[in-house]
Amino acid sequence: MRISIAPENRPIVIASLFVVVILLAGTAYTLSTAGSAPLLSPNYLLQQLQTGSFLGICAAGMMMVILLGQIDLSIPWTLTAAAMTATAVGGDMALPTALGVGIAVGLLNGFGVAYLRIPSMIFTLGVDTVLRGLMVAQTGGFAPQDTATPLMLFLAKDKVLGIPVAIFVWAGVSAIIALMLTRTGFGRSLYATGSREGAAYLSGIRTKWVIVGAFVISSVCAATAGFLLTGYSAKAYQGMGNAFLLPAIAAVVLGGTHILGGKGRYTGTLIGVVLIVLLNSVLSIMQMPEAGRQIIYGSVIITMLLVYGRNQRVTS
Amino acid sequence: MSDAIVEYRGISKFFAGIRALEDVDFACRPGSIHAILGENGAGKSTLIKIMAGVLQPDAGQMLLEGKPVTFPTPQAANDAGIVCMFQELSLVPDLSVADNISISKPPRRFGLIDRRAQVARAEELLAQVRCEDIDPNALVRELSLSRRQMVEIAKAIGRDPKVLILDEATSALTSRDVQTVYDLLAELKAKGIASLFISHRMHEVDALCDTLSVFRNGQHIETFAKGEKSEREIVRLMIGRDVEAQFPPKPAPKPVEERGEELLSVRGLKWGNRLNGIDLSLRRGEIVGLGGLDGQGQKELLLALFGVLRDVEGEFLIGGRKRLASSPAAAKSGRTRIALVPEDRKTEGLMLGMPIADNLLAASFSKISRGPLIDPLLARKAVDEEIERLRIKIGSSADPVMTLSGGNQQKVVIAKWLMTDPDIILLNDPTRGIDVGTKQEIYRLMRELANEGKAILFYSSDYAELIGCCDRVSVLYAGRVVSEQEGDAITEESLVAASLNIGIEAA
Repeated sequence: MRISIAPENRPIVIASLFVVVILLAGTAYTLSTAGSAPLLSPNYLLQQLQTGSFLGICAAGMMMVILLGQIDLSIPWTLTAAAMTATAVGGDMALPTALGVGIAVGLLNGFGVAYLRIPSMIFTLGVDTVLRGLMVAQTGGFAPQDTATPLMLFLAKDKVLGIPVAIFVWAGVSAIIALMLTRTGFGRSLYATGSREGAAYLSGIRTKWVIVGAFVISSVCAATAGFLLTGYSAKAYQGMGNAFLLPAIAAVVLGGTHILGGKGRYTGTLIGVVLIVLLNSVLSIMQMPEAGRQIIYGSVIITMLLVYGRNQRVTS
Repeated sequence: MSDAIVEYRGISKFFAGIRALEDVDFACRPGSIHAILGENGAGKSTLIKIMAGVLQPDAGQMLLEGKPVTFPTPQAANDAGIVCMFQELSLVPDLSVADNISISKPPRRFGLIDRRAQVARAEELLAQVRCEDIDPNALVRELSLSRRQMVEIAKAIGRDPKVLILDEATSALTSRDVQTVYDLLAELKAKGIASLFISHRMHEVDALCDTLSVFRNGQHIETFAKGEKSEREIVRLMIGRDVEAQFPPKPAPKPVEERGEELLSVRGLKWGNRLNGIDLSLRRGEIVGLGGLDGQGQKELLLALFGVLRDVEGEFLIGGRKRLASSPAAAKSGRTRIALVPEDRKTEGLMLGMPIADNLLAASFSKISRGPLIDPLLARKAVDEEIERLRIKIGSSADPVMTLSGGNQQKVVIAKWLMTDPDIILLNDPTRGIDVGTKQEIYRLMRELANEGKAILFYSSDYAELIGCCDRVSVLYAGRVVSEQEGDAITEESLVAASLNIGIEAA
């Protein structure tokens, strides 16, 4: 029997199946080597989701920008800058500071892309480099405070009802993003602008504001992730965001968001994040050497994108 | 039928179980200009796409000069001498005219593209289509739509066709270029080349073609020589029913004092060197036409009124405001709302890959929202209402808008704007490339909207439409209004003369 799946849901279904395959393969491996199945224990999964929440929040923001057909390469140092500035300020002002840094970077990125019309791939890369320079300069002459504030520690490490708080934060961000995409004019404008900016503009959509808005959301998400990550690792440090850029993009794209914009569902991005987190943890359980992990990780992304691409061609 | 150059025997083609062509027998002789007529969705495009190697038939056989052939790719059809110009312009905007003309087989020297030979070839072909004014080194994106279409024709001629297929090739042309194309086709005919001509303009078909074939619902209805049937009979064959008069009746012209409130008044509108001092007035309840050759500033004028252009000078009074809107977003909101149906529905009017519903709602998010959130029930109701009102033929409103026929796509663009309840509606050639039935629906709709008290500014490259629809016509030439005509004074002669800026005053 054939089950028909709407084209926009197909990547989500494929990615979900792949998540199951990873879990089964990983479990088979551990059963055969150690005789136990840690991958299927709720505690282990929650712990994976807790570490995945930082990536998940970054990917949520990245999705806004990719829906426009743009990209935000300034994620790593936006995250780091927000975290380092927040700890340097410390106290109750840490959270507003982190979000403020996110908003400022987002406005700058949005301005460059929407008004100066510089391709986002170039502009955000430049902003990333500038932020890195600023952070190096800040820590060069003296050592600012870099320990996590109590709020950071609570959000990243504590548990409520046995579930890590970080997962609640990720869920909250996800709920806001999903509601915004499906039920607000801004969300619809995002799809319209990403689908064809000229037509959206001539429909009276303020496309420049939409672009700026998307970059602000992306940077604020990165800043939030930085805030949490500081709590998780107890301090802010240079390069803490480096590991998030590629996985964030990969999660969005594996979740079925079209890299040229205009198409994609938030559920897909969530599953994309879960897929990447599980893939990473299974590879580390297998004690795969770093080189092998990188090769498998990259191959999986390319293979899945090929599968999506074929599907789209067949359906069109 | 041994003299046919291309012959179809029992060709069928289905898309996902839906009939596009069924059991079609069709033949076309060398040295003829053969018109293919039919509403959108009648199967004309499928017919020629099969001939051009874009689609493969599901059943049946195609013969070229008596021998069975199959074209697995467009390249194969090309090599066999079948050259097709598609409705959607197929030029690459960021390449030069010369690059585009020889895009599939550029002249080479030592394996590299010989630019000089390429330019020379482009010049020669452009001269053949009497477009010496086009610079072969210009980028295609800098040319107007009508010039691009001429480049497309030059490109097709350059491939040495035995069979030339023109799909809506004249839909964007100015009258002068249309004449050039007529002459060109006559020359090709004398050389024994068969031309297949698809057009929605009956008078073009009448002037040009010697044989006519009518298609309806994927079937070949009838083929006959020109002159055998009246226009009325042909239209009846095409749509399978009788049609009333093509244009809805116009109301009798009223004296100035009884006319509707003046919504828009523009004096001395200037923009760069494209618009050079335009005076225009628009009242509730009237349809004002913009005439003239293509590229005389009509498009820019509409864009200026819609708030797209920067640094527009002049005196304005639009619903009490003394300024032009600063952006389309500002134009569509406020007390006097403006809507624009743009020139190119595929790139400017629609987000082709998005669902029909999302396209319809794209200008009206605030109308369907309660507080910050969109109300799905309101959205659904608004979409259903507009689909019903304009009788848009769709499967589901969640389907991408690109699955619709051209006429229905245009209806979606219009419906999107009617949802905003505009006072002033700017239309940029809204009937280009759509079928007769839908055209008539649009004419009727325009008159209904005017009767509801909306003001309509209507640019058309088809004089018959201006004459049939408009209460007044302003003819533009070089960014200026050179003639204003009203009521019965709007005639084809007066419009043509004004377009060419020949001062004929009615004697």
